[in-house]
Amino acid sequence: MTDMEGQDWVDWIRERDDPKIAPTRAEALDDITVLDLSYKSFAGCYCSSMLAEFGAEILRVEPPEGDFIRTCTPYGILHKGEGLNYLAEGRNKFHITLNLEKPKARELLKGLASQADVLVETYRPGVMDDWGVGYEELRKINPRLIFASITAYGQFGPMSLSRMPDYDNIIQARSGAQYDTGEMMPENKSYDDCPWAIPTKAGPWIGWINAGTFMAVGILAALHWREMTGEGQALDVASAEAYASLEDWASIWYQGAGVINERFGNLNTAGWLYCFAPTKDGAVFLGALRLEMWQAFADMVGKWDEWDAANWRDLAPFSEEEEQLKWAPLVFAETRKYTNEELVAMSVKYAKNGRLAPITPVVAPVCSPEEAVHEANWLDRGIFVPITDPVYGELIVAQAQHKMTETPIRTKWVCRPVGYDNEHIYLKYMGLGPRKLKELKEAGII
Amino acid sequence: MAEGTWKDYREKKHSKPLPLRGIRVLEVCTLLLGPSGPGALARMGAEVIKCEMPPLGDTLRSLVPFGYWFREQSTSFIRPNPNKYWLGLDLHKAEGQELFRELAAKVDIIEENQRPGVMEGWNVGYRQIKEINPSIIYISKTGFGQWGQYARENRPSNDGAAQAMSGYAWMSRFPGQRPLKSRLYICDSYGALMGEVAVLAALHYRKRTGKGQFIELSQSESIMRAMSWIWPYLHITGRPAMPAGNGDVSICPAGTFRCSDDTFLALAAPSPEEFRGLCIAMDRPELAEDPRFKDHLTRLQEENAAGILGIIADWVRTKTPAEVEALAEKHGFAASHLYNIKDVVEDKHFRERGFVTEVDDPVVGPFLDYEFPAMMSRTPPRVSWSIRPVGFDNEYVMTQYLGKGEDEIKKLYECGALGKWTDVLGRRPPSDWDGKAGLIMARD
Repeated sequence: MTDMEGQDWVDWIRERDDPKIAPTRAEALDDITVLDLSYKSFAGCYCSSMLAEFGAEILRVEPPEGDFIRTCTPYGILHKGEGLNYLAEGRNKFHITLNLEKPKARELLKGLASQADVLVETYRPGVMDDWGVGYEELRKINPRLIFASITAYGQFGPMSLSRMPDYDNIIQARSGAQYDTGEMMPENKSYDDCPWAIPTKAGPWIGWINAGTFMAVGILAALHWREMTGEGQALDVASAEAYASLEDWASIWYQGAGVINERFGNLNTAGWLYCFAPTKDGAVFLGALRLEMWQAFADMVGKWDEWDAANWRDLAPFSEEEEQLKWAPLVFAETRKYTNEELVAMSVKYAKNGRLAPITPVVAPVCSPEEAVHEANWLDRGIFVPITDPVYGELIVAQAQHKMTETPIRTKWVCRPVGYDNEHIYLKYMGLGPRKLKELKEAGII
Repeated sequence: MAEGTWKDYREKKHSKPLPLRGIRVLEVCTLLLGPSGPGALARMGAEVIKCEMPPLGDTLRSLVPFGYWFREQSTSFIRPNPNKYWLGLDLHKAEGQELFRELAAKVDIIEENQRPGVMEGWNVGYRQIKEINPSIIYISKTGFGQWGQYARENRPSNDGAAQAMSGYAWMSRFPGQRPLKSRLYICDSYGALMGEVAVLAALHYRKRTGKGQFIELSQSESIMRAMSWIWPYLHITGRPAMPAGNGDVSICPAGTFRCSDDTFLALAAPSPEEFRGLCIAMDRPELAEDPRFKDHLTRLQEENAAGILGIIADWVRTKTPAEVEALAEKHGFAASHLYNIKDVVEDKHFRERGFVTEVDDPVVGPFLDYEFPAMMSRTPPRVSWSIRPVGFDNEYVMTQYLGKGEDEIKKLYECGALGKWTDVLGRRPPSDWDGKAGLIMARD
């Protein structure tokens, strides 16, 4: 597609939103200050990262010994003293310390909160109130404050005072999403034979990350409300609810038909064709949720006549359980004849000159992270550009997921050690010079 | 706890204002990655006009679990599409494109998930719309973004493609087993949410400067962003990242364990006090002092982790889920049986918080939905109404937003710019619909 000057859309937009030019552009949230008090919660860290990428000034407040989450790192590996998960979400944040067990520290926190737009916290409900820095207190000194709490059970409801902490694998369990993901048990086998044919959670910390992202969206909506009215408010994300809310049809199915959804392996209960299929050298995802796409798949693998695809009239019958179990082996027998690369190339080619072109099935290789991180398409799009951090050296963290013409996100630095920015931030916000800081440090307050 | 703040939240939410009041959104989206973004905005009070191609509309209207239709509607279609206004608009027709442009001049946000260049081919691309509405925020959501090799090849995408290509599925499985597709459409749902972070940040920027902008979102890139340690790990260690089944290589102990009744339970107790609590609960207090388990970084080392996880597995095998949950509560670590969908829908806590909420819809009838999970004390997001057949609100949208008279609307139907549903399952209203319920403005 070309515009009046004849420039192709793809070129036109890339000139304006390639992450390479991000540093020259404005930042959407650089008028916003966020206090992030997250503790033992990747959800909170991720939430403030979402805002930090857009230029918000994040004051990341940790106890003097540092947030426990820094020790949550694969196999206990540290890079220059830092855990690898935390390393990925310290981006663009100023790191300060404050020992909230001490009354004087709470006074300092009030001073910061009176200057902040947003406060993110993840303590069990009641902890902030007991310290005298809960929402009801802080709203008195800053009625515009958006007070955002992310916890396991939320701020109210019968379980809200539970002592149980919030971890990713618990979120995945309590949301219902783990129960019906996983391999089906082969016939006449048991858990003892096939200990992998059980409910299976996602590898990445999606439960935590999803909760943090929902809170970021909530905070931005609350900012909009505040701009209209001047009013701050309290926000409450219960992390298992956030993950449960991504579910689309199982709850409706249960209400309507009383059916409890069970594992269906790499097939898809709510629609055909939508599965992972084995190939000569791995597996591909196949997607064809419209009849023509499913026909195109049959045609692409040379089964148009044998499968009588020309006479298929409706995709719906293929989605029935028995039909899926009947058709899946037939499809897999075809995909096994090719490599991943061959199948992808067949689908791209079919879009050009197939019988049903430009309709073509979705074919996507199942990649390992190493394959993904070296893939030319993603490298070109700036997701894995190495960053040279003044403290941690050259690193790769995923970034630049939003491409935007006016206010693209960026990663200015990757992370900071505990208390790294005490001097700058306490001077800037609280007027505390080196002598006073030394006293506070000696008194165990910062 | 902020009791005053959250008192009667559930009971009073419908008598409070919505945070995105006054924001208007035009949606040209299908399936899930597209519609669930504006769906989130609609839950927060934005006015979302969902444009569908008459008479069949959104492909998602066809997708149901094992042939089950909920009151003759698609089970999958309900959750991404609350509180919307339903416009049957044919963008293949010049008159339809013109109508879209009239609407686009009056909205704040446009969301679309066609393949790159398609909207421009319909004369409603970003470059064309910004000429008539310079402050428009325009987001395009696709598998691979607007540029780069895959976009150039015009590859189609689905949630499952993003699960596959990002490495997400590869990391979600037991070692030695094949990569697993999540049964959630996680890259659609999460990608859509990620899109709204950008849309709302752009809205904030527009408020400050008056400037709109274009946003492109790739569902694969969004899920890659969510894969934390994996990327720095590859770079720093030079070793491949490996899947860990139901374990968690960054948290120890954490895992899913089989109980005495052959059901499963998730447990986590990594911090010093949580781990001590677990050891006491297992009646093995000495384990907290064991040099293999003495602190978190030590426990995380592979051999040590295997040791403690084995001890926990043997212990849980002798307990019911309820027994372990009670001990977790008492000793301050985390445990939960694996909720199935019945457990979620019927959970007392979810119900009393109003997360699981009853919707009494004039067309679909009463059902339980999930509320938007960021609860807001002054401006509670909520579902007020549900899905509608294609073009159900045409008359309302034409009158309310564009001031079209009856004759004009009639002409728009005649030329095919506007259209309504056809008599196909998933497109038509439920058979007990009386021809009136749910209509904002009746035709004739």
